[in-house]
Amino acid sequence: MRLAGRSVSAGRGGGPALVSAKPMSFLGGVDPATGIVRDPASDIRGECVAGRVLVFPSGKGSTVGSYVLYGLARHGVAPAAIVNERTETIVATGCILGGIPLVDRIDPTAILTGDRVAVDGDAGAVELPDVIERRAATAFLRNRGRILILKRGDTAPTFPGLWSAVSGSVEPTERPLARARDEILEETAIRGARLVARGGPVFVRHDATVFVVFPFLFDVPTRQVRLDRENTDARWVRPAELPEYHTVPRLSDALAAVLPQGA
Amino acid sequence: MRLTARQREMRDHGTPSVRTAMRLLIALGEIYGADRLLPIASAHVAGASYKMVGDPGLEFIADFARDARVVVPTTVNPLGMDLERWREQGISEEFAAKQRRIAEAYRAMGVRESFSCTPYLVGNRPRFGDHVAWAESSAACFANSVIGARTNREGGPSALAAAVTGFTPDHGLHRVEERRATAIVDVRARVRGYAFSLLGLQVGRVLGGGIPYFRGLRGTEADLKWLSASIASTSDCAMFHVERGTPEWRRARPKGLPRIRVTDRDLEAVRRDFTTGDEADIIGLGSPQLSADELRQIAALMKGRRPRIPVWVFTSRAARDEAADAVRRIEALGGRVLADTCLEVTMIENVSKTVATPSGKGAVYLPTLCGQKVVMADVARLLRRYA
Repeated sequence: MRLAGRSVSAGRGGGPALVSAKPMSFLGGVDPATGIVRDPASDIRGECVAGRVLVFPSGKGSTVGSYVLYGLARHGVAPAAIVNERTETIVATGCILGGIPLVDRIDPTAILTGDRVAVDGDAGAVELPDVIERRAATAFLRNRGRILILKRGDTAPTFPGLWSAVSGSVEPTERPLARARDEILEETAIRGARLVARGGPVFVRHDATVFVVFPFLFDVPTRQVRLDRENTDARWVRPAELPEYHTVPRLSDALAAVLPQGA
Repeated sequence: MRLTARQREMRDHGTPSVRTAMRLLIALGEIYGADRLLPIASAHVAGASYKMVGDPGLEFIADFARDARVVVPTTVNPLGMDLERWREQGISEEFAAKQRRIAEAYRAMGVRESFSCTPYLVGNRPRFGDHVAWAESSAACFANSVIGARTNREGGPSALAAAVTGFTPDHGLHRVEERRATAIVDVRARVRGYAFSLLGLQVGRVLGGGIPYFRGLRGTEADLKWLSASIASTSDCAMFHVERGTPEWRRARPKGLPRIRVTDRDLEAVRRDFTTGDEADIIGLGSPQLSADELRQIAALMKGRRPRIPVWVFTSRAARDEAADAVRRIEALGGRVLADTCLEVTMIENVSKTVATPSGKGAVYLPTLCGQKVVMADVARLLRRYA
């Protein structure tokens, strides 16, 4: 699949991914002579960044970290490219000084350590040739402050037995919103749903598949739900209760994308 | 971002260093939402102390200097040692050799050999309204607040990129609407002399950033230098206003902003909080470097008495030359007046474990950068205590 982001430092680079879920400090965190991660607080301590596509949310720490990135490049042990969620000054500066391709505005959870990754720092895109993209629409139905969640059947092709919102796969030729409306009718038989909000996509990595989930929020006039065969249970819950349920991955993030905090 | 023909030419056909510099400015500008690059009147670069930038920084600066020349008046921050008296500082031959290579690289780029954190006192003084690109947080804060020049808190590489291209991205404090106050500080304390350092530490740690608007505060330009340095050490602050005191206070628009109050008790508390040691083994004065006037004040305060612990005074070469008589008096009493470097970017850890200093910035950085404990007090008190 191809992830579209923003070009920060030009050039192309590819290699196996090395993914950290934590902000990275380069000064004292990475040895500029060897490229080995030294930071005791890092979840990739002991790994070598040389020749790999280094993926992390953002940089932190001393501005001297920019020179460390330059040093890695000068000693031939730089990452082949860097992918960030949100690049800040230290990493941007170091990558440009060292000629390391850098793309940001990429959700790092879409990439797993070991994935083959090709980064196009000119176009601002990241290619994952072994990963399949599947689009999905997720519709949160709201009635008097409560949100509908459905329990997926034990024979569901993906995430059986977990709680989800109304959802369905989006075909390549289809628009996510149209799919969401169809699924509401099929899975709940509720009519008169009114679109309130739509959020940016949320990536759910599952084995070699990335589900690109498009979240929507609808107000509905009733709590009367007629289940189809896909789901085995339905509940109307307060948004704050969602973490108590065993849900499909990142359901809370999808809800947060359409529901303002505290609403 | 919209670029002029000249800027595109530099990006695409400049020397390798100029192309790198232009790409850096464009990328940082885009991260911060700038839509153009502004011409600058001057630059002040950081990243000169070998202690701070290490071998990676040395390699970068030496490589970059091969084909880059500054195109605007540019000064540079303190080094890690006095270029002449480094042996007295306990600096190794290896450190000195690498430090000289960094100094030489800046010289080769046409940077003035100021080696000062107070560029505004050594001939790099912008005019009101000038756009500049200054690294060194204390100097950037002073330039915005006290002079009314416009700069963001630049990093070493971005200030250097601005120096060799003559441009900086138009965002943040370059824009008039971003220079308004964000909080009111009611000063209910008698703030004189070194209490300006305490005030900065306290307001910085309470607000964390933004643009404070001080009420009930009067200070000289020298006082505001210490306020600038300390407030920038405990926060991201790069500008403040003083009611009836700084050049843009009338544009600050404080009405309706959240307010905090600072009392004498707060200032005493901050002094206690930043005092982490008991008995000092050296008195360190600087951070920022002392002016010629401040050197004369120190000489007078010593009153002919020789302190029982070493006194290291950090200043610029220009101020040391200007106040030569005061320097002789300080040194006759056992003090050392060191130029080209400053309190926490040199290897004070070679000679000390606990530093006594009135500097708020020193009190913030000596523990982390030099592994020192700190005793905070004003100079007169320190000279009495260690007489």
